[in-house]
Amino acid sequence: MTNVVSAGLGRSSGGLNSKAETELRASVIPGQPDIWVLVLLEAFTFSSYFVVYMIYRMRNPGLYLHSQAQLSLQLGVVNTIVLLTSSWSMARCVQSARAGDYGIALRDVSLTILLGLVFTVSKLFEWVTKTQAGLTFTSNEFFMFYYFLTGMHLLHVLMGFVFLGVVVYQLSSPARRSQEVIETGATYWHMIDFLWVIIFALLYVMR
Amino acid sequence: MNTAATQTLAPMPASAPARGKRRDDPKLELWIAWWVTIAFYNIFTIAFFILSRTQPPPKAWWHLPRIVQWFDDNHFGILFGFAMMFLIVGFSIAANALIAQSMRRMSVSPMFAYSYLIIYSLAGVPGMLLTCIALTVGAMRPDRDPKLLSLLYDMGFLSFSGTMGIFLIGSLVWGIAIVLDNNRVLPKWFGYMNLSNALTEVVVAPCVIFKAGPLAWDGSIAYYINMVIFGIYTGAFIMLLRNMIMREDFGSGVLPVLEKPPRR
Repeated sequence: MTNVVSAGLGRSSGGLNSKAETELRASVIPGQPDIWVLVLLEAFTFSSYFVVYMIYRMRNPGLYLHSQAQLSLQLGVVNTIVLLTSSWSMARCVQSARAGDYGIALRDVSLTILLGLVFTVSKLFEWVTKTQAGLTFTSNEFFMFYYFLTGMHLLHVLMGFVFLGVVVYQLSSPARRSQEVIETGATYWHMIDFLWVIIFALLYVMR
Repeated sequence: MNTAATQTLAPMPASAPARGKRRDDPKLELWIAWWVTIAFYNIFTIAFFILSRTQPPPKAWWHLPRIVQWFDDNHFGILFGFAMMFLIVGFSIAANALIAQSMRRMSVSPMFAYSYLIIYSLAGVPGMLLTCIALTVGAMRPDRDPKLLSLLYDMGFLSFSGTMGIFLIGSLVWGIAIVLDNNRVLPKWFGYMNLSNALTEVVVAPCVIFKAGPLAWDGSIAYYINMVIFGIYTGAFIMLLRNMIMREDFGSGVLPVLEKPPRR
């Protein structure tokens, strides 16, 4: 089980030149290089969604401006601060793990999970209040994009909890604690934070 | 065992060697499955994209007269294209078997391979066959009531796009198996690509709600961007399965690295 989960996020486990390769990679790229394929692919996918959003927005700026005014900028800012803070705590976790302070690293990743949950609850709360106000997925084009983009993002956050769970599992026993796996999980979490910042800018701020 | 592994590492030559050698080749079945997969995807492309022109899909918001006209315009293409699909749909099993085989070769539980096989065996029915059946029935009698044609039109395209959930779960199963695997059967980046593909397939779900716009079954997000990701993913897994077959040593440990670059 230990080896299975350690290998789970790409840790080398035997084979030709694996140790040398891993050491070389560790000095050049944080985490397993493979995770960057996911990061780049998701960045590409979301970028294409953003481009589609911008094109549709250009066709009907009045509708989008009016609809954006229905969003709570304050809540958007709070969500952004929560996610940025979670990225900060995740970075602290990586730093602590590098220094060998695994107890502190475990505390930091737990804080990240907690902040992720705060974001999730906040997002659900926002959706519920919007829906109760009659602003649903099918209300108009802007809200279709709003629910779609924030929904896809939340799906990525939920997957992020799986990655963080693996990091917790790694940190919780001296038999594991692969720095590479921890950094791989952190890379994924930073990616969803990065995506949220752009979504926040597009949906809430850009008017 | 190492000698046997080394001997089986080199790719099979394109021209047939002595008959005795080819019959003894333990990888023959794997190569047959791989080439059948290639054949299937090519015939699929011809049937859907060229003959029947059901891909890219026509508009979801068309009204009755326009839908009737579409059936009329594509009458023979639909009939011939999908007649061909009805004949060769069984070829899709080769890809599923090869992918399940990849999971059996991994260090993870066979449960992954079995789950994948079950999911994808069922996936072809709503995801492809239902489309072929509905649209063929529509094209077969052009004088059918337009309302019935409209029903068949919706059934055909919604079933093709809207049933992506099956492929989503299948991608997750394969992706998690690859990420957990210790035998290095397939690279970890492809495991993550499966996760990415799975997440992308979620975007198709809203096509049951929207008849126009980017989330309709012909929308820029639900169809075109989705197909770009899926196309990259399919191309990647076909080449990786080829690589896997060349590396296959019929053991149970780490799959050896190819010593020579793959020959075209």
